[in-house]
Amino acid sequence: MNRKKGDKGFESPRPYKLTHQVVCINNINFQRKSVVGYVELTIFPTVANLNRIKLNSKQCRIYRVRVNDLEAAFIYNDPTLEVCHHESKQRNLNYFSNAYAAAVSAVDPDAGNGELCIKVPSELWKHVDELKVLKVHINFSLDQPKGGLHFVVPNMEGNMAERGAHVFSCGYQNSTRFWFPCVDSYSELCTWKLEYTVDAAMVAVSNGDLVETVYTHDMRKKTFHYMLTIPTAASNISLAIGPFEILVDPYMHEVTHFCLPQLLPLLKHTTSYLHEVFEFYEEILTCRYPYSCFKTVFIDEAYVEVAAYASMSIFSTNLLHSAMIIDETPLTRRCLAQALAQQFFGCFISRMSWSDEWVLKGISGYIYGLWMKKTFGVNEYRHWIKQELDQIVAYELKTGGVLLHPIFGGGKEKDNPASHLHFSIKHPHTLSWEYYTMFQCKAHLVMRLIENRISMEFMLQVFNKLLSLASTASSQKFQSHMWSQMLVSTSGFLKSISNVSGKDIQPLIKQWVDQSGVVKFYGSFAFNRKRNVLELEIKQDYTSPGTQKYVGPLKVTVQELDGSFNHTLQIEENSLKHDIPCHSKSRRNKKKKIPLMNGEEVDMDLSAMDADSPLLWIRIDPDMSVLRKVEFEQSDFMWQYQLRYERDVVAQEEAILALEKFPTPASRLALTDILEQEQCFYRVRMLACFCLAKIANSMVSTWTGPPAMKSLFTRMFCCKTCPNIVKTNNFMNFQSYFLQKTMPVAMALLRDVHNLCPKEVLMFILDLIKYNDNRKNKFSDNYYRAELIDALANSVTPAVSVNNEVRTLDNLNPDVRLILEEITRFLNMEKLLPSYRHTITVSCLKAIRVLQKNGHVPSDPALFKSYAEYGHFVDVRIAALEAVVDYTKVDRSYEELQWLLSMVQCDPVPYIRHKILDMLTKNPPFTKNMESPLCNEALVDQLWKLMNSGTSHDWRLRCGAVDLYFTLFGLSRPSCLPLPELGLVLNLKEKKAVLNPTIIPESVANNQEPVISTNNHGQSVGFQNTEDDHLIKETASSISGHQQGVKRKADMPLGSPLEPGQILEKNEDSKVKLKIRFSNSQEEEEIDMDTVHDSQAFIYHHLNMLERPSTPGKEQSSGEINMHPVSAAPLSVFSKESNSSKHSDHHHHHHHEHKKKKKKHKHKHKHKHKHDTKEKEKDPFVFSNSPASARSIRSPSLSD
Amino acid sequence: RAGSKQAGTPADNYHLARRRTLQVVVSSLLTEAGFESAEKAAVETLTEMIQSYISEIGRSAKSYCEHTARTQPTLSDIVVTLVEMGFNVETLPAYAKRSQRMVITAPPVTNQPVTPKALTAGQNKPHPPHIPGHFPEFPDPHTYIKTPTYREPVSDYQVLREKAASQRRDVERALTRFMAKTGETQSLFKDDVSTFPLIAARPFTVPYLTALLPSELEMQQMEETDSSEQDEQTDTENLPLHMSTDDAGPEKENTSVLQQNSSLAGSRNGEENMIDNPYLRPVKKPKIRRKK
Repeated sequence: MNRKKGDKGFESPRPYKLTHQVVCINNINFQRKSVVGYVELTIFPTVANLNRIKLNSKQCRIYRVRVNDLEAAFIYNDPTLEVCHHESKQRNLNYFSNAYAAAVSAVDPDAGNGELCIKVPSELWKHVDELKVLKVHINFSLDQPKGGLHFVVPNMEGNMAERGAHVFSCGYQNSTRFWFPCVDSYSELCTWKLEYTVDAAMVAVSNGDLVETVYTHDMRKKTFHYMLTIPTAASNISLAIGPFEILVDPYMHEVTHFCLPQLLPLLKHTTSYLHEVFEFYEEILTCRYPYSCFKTVFIDEAYVEVAAYASMSIFSTNLLHSAMIIDETPLTRRCLAQALAQQFFGCFISRMSWSDEWVLKGISGYIYGLWMKKTFGVNEYRHWIKQELDQIVAYELKTGGVLLHPIFGGGKEKDNPASHLHFSIKHPHTLSWEYYTMFQCKAHLVMRLIENRISMEFMLQVFNKLLSLASTASSQKFQSHMWSQMLVSTSGFLKSISNVSGKDIQPLIKQWVDQSGVVKFYGSFAFNRKRNVLELEIKQDYTSPGTQKYVGPLKVTVQELDGSFNHTLQIEENSLKHDIPCHSKSRRNKKKKIPLMNGEEVDMDLSAMDADSPLLWIRIDPDMSVLRKVEFEQSDFMWQYQLRYERDVVAQEEAILALEKFPTPASRLALTDILEQEQCFYRVRMLACFCLAKIANSMVSTWTGPPAMKSLFTRMFCCKTCPNIVKTNNFMNFQSYFLQKTMPVAMALLRDVHNLCPKEVLMFILDLIKYNDNRKNKFSDNYYRAELIDALANSVTPAVSVNNEVRTLDNLNPDVRLILEEITRFLNMEKLLPSYRHTITVSCLKAIRVLQKNGHVPSDPALFKSYAEYGHFVDVRIAALEAVVDYTKVDRSYEELQWLLSMVQCDPVPYIRHKILDMLTKNPPFTKNMESPLCNEALVDQLWKLMNSGTSHDWRLRCGAVDLYFTLFGLSRPSCLPLPELGLVLNLKEKKAVLNPTIIPESVANNQEPVISTNNHGQSVGFQNTEDDHLIKETASSISGHQQGVKRKADMPLGSPLEPGQILEKNEDSKVKLKIRFSNSQEEEEIDMDTVHDSQAFIYHHLNMLERPSTPGKEQSSGEINMHPVSAAPLSVFSKESNSSKHSDHHHHHHHEHKKKKKKHKHKHKHKHKHDTKEKEKDPFVFSNSPASARSIRSPSLSD
Repeated sequence: RAGSKQAGTPADNYHLARRRTLQVVVSSLLTEAGFESAEKAAVETLTEMIQSYISEIGRSAKSYCEHTARTQPTLSDIVVTLVEMGFNVETLPAYAKRSQRMVITAPPVTNQPVTPKALTAGQNKPHPPHIPGHFPEFPDPHTYIKTPTYREPVSDYQVLREKAASQRRDVERALTRFMAKTGETQSLFKDDVSTFPLIAARPFTVPYLTALLPSELEMQQMEETDSSEQDEQTDTENLPLHMSTDDAGPEKENTSVLQQNSSLAGSRNGEENMIDNPYLRPVKKPKIRRKK
């Protein structure tokens, strides 16, 4: 935020530069799910008066911090643990989103902030002034982490290795702070030394080169030593530990693959392809893979399918497959290719700031697209581009736009470039997951647009330039200050483009990168026979949300009788009509072949076309060089010609979609012809199936012959001699395999005049199931059988119900009985012979839900709930949960909703938690404008708590909760809540600061326990006043005598001699004094708190503003400990009003004037304090222990 | 001579007739030697002796002939036998031509005892020309000729498929019903638990294994294809080290990891230019110096 656009060099937001970091994890306990270790950061101050070092750390319990071997005081404060403080009755999402964005900013490393603030010991100040190196050594532990590191410990007999227990790092964007203290930014690069001591039966896989593996002295454990000499951001550091099987890639020995026990054969097959991806990228980028080694690890319960980190990628184990599986193969290969693309752009080359993210995602997505084109062919590539384009267009039109390169001006809310959204786009961590997915999609599409402009050759040259600069920089020593070359920024990237290509792409960037929205074209035309001119009218809708106006060139391709012609129209402000001269006279040449765009000449039956016009079809923006949606009107025969003769798959797909509106025998014929045409792209043929089903339904009264596609299917896949029996399976030809799978599914959508699935079709599908024979097939037929079940489900129509009778077996429709028979058998067989990824179970569950929904089977979530339990395969769980979500919506079940929400909080698998929220958002039980018995105050509170504090360990989950809240209640206060009390009204004129009345220093008398690093709000303090040496010594000597001291000491591995508790005390005269008291020595020292502000929140967020006083003696500590207000203590606390009024800026204000204002308010609101206190105490902290830090340390207030 | 062959036949009549002939022979030899009369017992003893002698010649001759892989004794077999028995063959022609020898009429042809014939089915095949006649005859045809006894072949594809399909379906249904009957079930209808019994869903401890690994049958095929690679995994270079460090005894998964590990390391030693991958290097022993 404090960065100007177009900055040439990279300016670090920190007053120091990190050069090297050691991470040493010396103990991992799978039983307790805990980790103990230390980190050591080597930093060079860049300013003389550096007195505080801010680092990122979440969840970790920090025992001890030393700077150059001197004990250092530190403060731990994480405002994201609880976004809006407790007392607030605010329930509107606007308020929350602002507060959340502020909280994230307050610890954002890209703004120089962090949760952990370490005070440089005064002895070192001189040292610092000479800008000499500092070594910050932090001992930490992690106990049952809820995010960042994920433990998978199967509950069974045997030791951990036998059980296949493993642990891996995970998270969304920069989430490394969840498992060790670091500068969790993509822009702070340093070299790494990583050490992991694990059980001898385990393998620790991490970034960089494995230097050596050494046994510990008892020979029970071994230590893996990794070195990463390429400067890398902490956010790209990862770890996976487990009893992995090791496979060295037979083609590239520096590549090693890891999988869980017993899966080695699958791993061999799955990774056998990877070397080709390597070759491809290295060739197009003309650059070697930047790291000296590469590791792939396949783990269970993955957070995302693919996660790329420096020199290693973590994949979901569910991507592994054997040679018999067809459908998964391309998907897995895509994942591998994606991961590898991100190794170059994302890991090796990192980003300067969040607003440059689009460049990395764009480039990696773009080169991944090139790989797709080469591997799967141009058709697949164009289909994919079209699919991505449709997705982004739909999303932008729905939500109002995706902005690739957000620039934040003065930080005023009004400047918010994304005011249409219910979340802030300033930080990756406030972003809705769906938005982020779409963001990546748009990024690579825009990259493709740039390629269209400057040519691929230049594009690749730019990438090569970025990579070679980075590689040169990476080999340099830190002192050369070259490392920032490894960071990419928007401006740097654009500059490279203009240097290499000499072209100005600024308008393009302005349109698609600096601005959100897509273009919506409406096109229609008329042919002027007299002038032989095509009059094309192109309108735009740029007023709806998510749209923007497009001005510039637009390509139109017109297929005439004489050939295909491209025209480039200039879309301008007010011109709607464009005249395009035609080349051919209508109907001149009979029986002449018609040349197509690709030079091919074909015979066409021209009888269908308009005799007066030479136009066969027209396409607007055929190359998809604008992010647009086109609605174009042309006659049905033109669509049919386009479908039959246009060779571009995108055009064919567009024609198919358009033909849905023209249910005529001619459309039917065109579709059937396409279906039969083997040269035609299989996806087009699959799409044609569904279109044909729709057309058949529209034409139901005039349809002649057997049901659509039946004879076709019979001809293609059934025996010649007995057409009612399908051939034994042979899936060698993948195109026909996919068609064979799809056709029954589409056929099942056919309906007769009574709107029922024709009996003939149902029997046909049942026969397919009956005669299915896979014995001689080289491939598994599990996907095929699953789709046959899907077909059965598609054939189900609503039950005819007589006055809502109860559904019993007796009144079961005989057709449904047959269907149910099959489903039962399939589902039961799955228990005995499970299919790959349990695809059949998934389809069965879906089908059962369809039967329930249509009233054939009593609606009951019990079955699904049993399949949704932890311990089932993830696909099965998701399918079951989807059914429960649907049930919740249809039956408006409060109980199920509660069950789902409790799963969101408790389920061990992060992906499931995320997915439940996602599914609830997509299929909500009610929406904001809907009356529903489910919508009540308790639910509002529950969800509020969930997003406010219950999901602080997982950014993605929290954003998911925000999405759900938005879907259910909208942006403003939920309608089901009573009107807000006056006392709670926001004071909007005061937006500067927000105080939390609950954050009140506790009186000295009440504090009996030293606080190490947290309190129950997570705003914790581990303060050590290292200035006061004598005190430290006294503490150390007396600590053993004190009960609590003993306990603490036991907690600390090294028995740190100094863990003083300290208390902040405020004086009545509103002057704050900090009392530092070491818990054991009854000695107190009062420090004058000139600069300490009267609110704890304020203190936290202004730590970075505190400047070191000129003389050490005046140093103030801004440490804060206790949150619990003690009503007896006269405190200068802000009341609720002032509190909430300032909330919006809450965490990141750096306005000094603010102090004054506060003081003004102080007296005014003092009297309200008591009230707050009571309220707070009444209300227990629901999630108080969820946020990471130092949970086991007793909260001072509780021990009182 | 022929007697030797028939010495063992039990048929009494036949036996007695032969014996009588031998008695006649002994008697005539005695007469020739000048005896007027002899006691019956003496004749019997001599008969016994000559019978034994002839039997021995026969037995021996048979051995010699079989020794040379024939079934019929030849003259030379007899000669060797006689020599072996200490008989001077040279004297034989002179003895045969002696003047005073008596000619005995051939014994009356008694009907040879019929060995009960095995059941014959059909005609034995004669030897083809390339097989010498002394080879044994072919056995009865029924012992080697295939006699297919098929019914009218079901060549109708449709029926076959139909059969296979319904068979499989029946098996599957019966099996799943059985499983459902014997175990816990779930039901889609509250009022009826037996018509569509669903085997209850049971969570797995390691769900991904059943979901990802091919079934056992398919697994076998896969193993066959890369068994050659697995055979190499017998190198146990690092294994002793590993065992010593593993307190918990043999651990399936780890050993497989480590075996894999060691085997690859082993193969590296075998082929010098082979894989150098840090994960395959042996784990170092701790240095003596103490940390901290």
